[in-house]
Amino acid sequence: MRRLLRIAQREYVAYVRTVGFWLSMLALPLGMALLMGASGWMEASAPPPALVLIDQTPGQVYLAPVTQALTTRNNIGRPRNEVVAPPIALPTDPAAIGPALKPWLAGDSRLAGKRKLAGAFVVHGAGEAVAVDVWTDNPLLGATESVRRAIAGRMTQAKLEAAGVSPKLLADAQALEPKMTDFSPKAAGKASLLTRLPGLIGFGAAMLLWSVIFTGAGILLNGVIEEKSSKVLEVLLSSATVPEILFGKILGVAGVTFTVLGVWGGVGAVLMNIFAPEQAAGIGQVLFSGGLLFYFAFYLVCGYLMYASVFTAIGSFCETTREAQTLLGPIMILLTIPVIFLSQALRRPDTPALEILSWVPPFTPFMMTARAASGPPMWQVVATGILMLATVAVVMWIAGRAFRAGALSTGKVDLKGLVAKLRGGE
Amino acid sequence: MTDAALSLTNVTKRYGAFTAVDDLSFTAERGRILGFLGPNGAGKTSTLRMVLGLSEATSGTLNVLGAPDGRSVRDRIGFLPEERGLYRRMTPIEAIVFLAGLKGVPGPVARKRAIAMLEEQGLGEAQNRQIRQLSKGMAQKVQLIAAVAHEPELVILDEPFSGLDPVNQQTLEATIRGLAQRGATVVFSTHVMQHAERLCEHVVLLTRGKKVFDGSVAEAKGRAPRALVLEGQLDAAATGALPGIASVTSTPLEAGGQRHVCALKANASGQEALKKAFAQGLDIQRFELREPTLHDAFIVLTGEQLDQPEMAA
Repeated sequence: MRRLLRIAQREYVAYVRTVGFWLSMLALPLGMALLMGASGWMEASAPPPALVLIDQTPGQVYLAPVTQALTTRNNIGRPRNEVVAPPIALPTDPAAIGPALKPWLAGDSRLAGKRKLAGAFVVHGAGEAVAVDVWTDNPLLGATESVRRAIAGRMTQAKLEAAGVSPKLLADAQALEPKMTDFSPKAAGKASLLTRLPGLIGFGAAMLLWSVIFTGAGILLNGVIEEKSSKVLEVLLSSATVPEILFGKILGVAGVTFTVLGVWGGVGAVLMNIFAPEQAAGIGQVLFSGGLLFYFAFYLVCGYLMYASVFTAIGSFCETTREAQTLLGPIMILLTIPVIFLSQALRRPDTPALEILSWVPPFTPFMMTARAASGPPMWQVVATGILMLATVAVVMWIAGRAFRAGALSTGKVDLKGLVAKLRGGE
Repeated sequence: MTDAALSLTNVTKRYGAFTAVDDLSFTAERGRILGFLGPNGAGKTSTLRMVLGLSEATSGTLNVLGAPDGRSVRDRIGFLPEERGLYRRMTPIEAIVFLAGLKGVPGPVARKRAIAMLEEQGLGEAQNRQIRQLSKGMAQKVQLIAAVAHEPELVILDEPFSGLDPVNQQTLEATIRGLAQRGATVVFSTHVMQHAERLCEHVVLLTRGKKVFDGSVAEAKGRAPRALVLEGQLDAAATGALPGIASVTSTPLEAGGQRHVCALKANASGQEALKKAFAQGLDIQRFELREPTLHDAFIVLTGEQLDQPEMAA
């Protein structure tokens, strides 16, 4: 144990001293802050799209409702679009309006304040034969839909009024809509963010687990390759047992990874408590109830041990990253499969595919982490857990043999050679 | 109870169909320096790895400080591998403290020893520089210190002289003598016989996995004939006809003439041959009566020629 801890300590200190560690530590918070700041700044600073609205119908009955529909306000209180006057006198033929506005729509000419014209809506026709020509090269899906609804509503209103329906009755009828309420069977009450949080947290935790395992195993792989190429491994093998070296390294790198995660988690928790205390309390409640935190810890430890052992063993055969890439191919494919299925776990955590994949030990940590929140049957939790523990034990035993053989090997090793060395033990 | 720090009995190591070590037996006495000699590929590193427990013997038994191999007594063994390796971003002190720590030496003690040993080896100023900034010779010294900082009873050095310049080779020889004087048993492998000749009382000669000699340096040299070296304008036939000459190996000299190395017969002193050569008026510009070296002994014992890399004077 003394040697194991020394090796772990050395690994930890060696990585914490590097610039890369501190960059990684700062990268996520800084990146998120920049992203949030940038998107907020862009939304706040970008002017709403400028649109020209021409109503050629008799009495311009659609001008007011369409203008109102286009200029509704978004969540930060800014109008979604701005209806502007045409920059030139337009022809009366609707088909000629678009070509006349082409220089402004293409951006060759600018509106006042150097703004670009985002599009033009030309409403023409009469009665039940109203048409709308939309001139734009930009995807104005939201605006187009708003215009369609506003005109359709006004046309319906006109039709009903013509049929003798009173404007008041019409207004009352249009105001009618059912009261929709979401209920959660688990919470035995109204659905809220809190009732949906377990699923979200399961998905998030599975993705986090995947990235932690991938990052930690990658660090280990590169570290062992460096030790192999600089011939340090043989010195270590003469000073400590294979399990001491293997677990020491795995423990040290786990320490590095969890330090980063701990700092991120701590900073995140503090910030959430300050800016979104309700959501923070909800997340805390989900994590600390129903044993979710225990599940996550269990699957994290098992998954990390399994993949870290394999990556470390592979690293012991390689003196360059290029050599490692040829041996890592099959494992990389394995690691991408859970990511493909994890997004499904968020919407339908009990689909058969996820259940089946939960029984495949290399995927168990990710799949069960994602499913844990939706309360899979306990027998499945226990059985897949036992299967995974057994697999972890076998993988670690094989990895130990491989590590020893790899550390003392010389020359290039392909997959066939690796298997031969494993069977020979040296 | 035996006084051997290390003994191997009928040890064989096979890798598939290839036999790296074949029925090897020898003993290293406590507090002595044993030279483990042989050309590249003789099986030296394979043997040392078995001793350390890094690989298992196919058959035979080992006794390493009373244990079946080095694994259970690794804290009492110091090992310098053939291919040197240290963490390049560590300083010499950190590397020594870390490796000594693995052998059970407390940090403060290891640090104190590291500083003293680095000073002793002339590396005092380099002790806080990263190892990647040190010269190869300096890094090798650091590695040797790291291998012995825990004051091991058995020191195993695999080709410790390779890559060192003559000055550093002499320094290393002094260090190895110092280890033995302190009471450690030193086993070092080399394919350069001169080091073994200067350092060892006991040598084991190995070729193609088989032991060809096990005994004292004097005994080994006794297996090779003395030689009379004659240089001048004389031919091999006339030289070979001199009394007491068993065989002649001739090589041309750059300045003209030949150099004849004449192996003497078992009881021949060389005097008779010299007298006869002068009496015959042979053109001898230089002569030398040469005692056999360990290198000569190795050639006689194995029939193989050894590489002659850089050597300390």
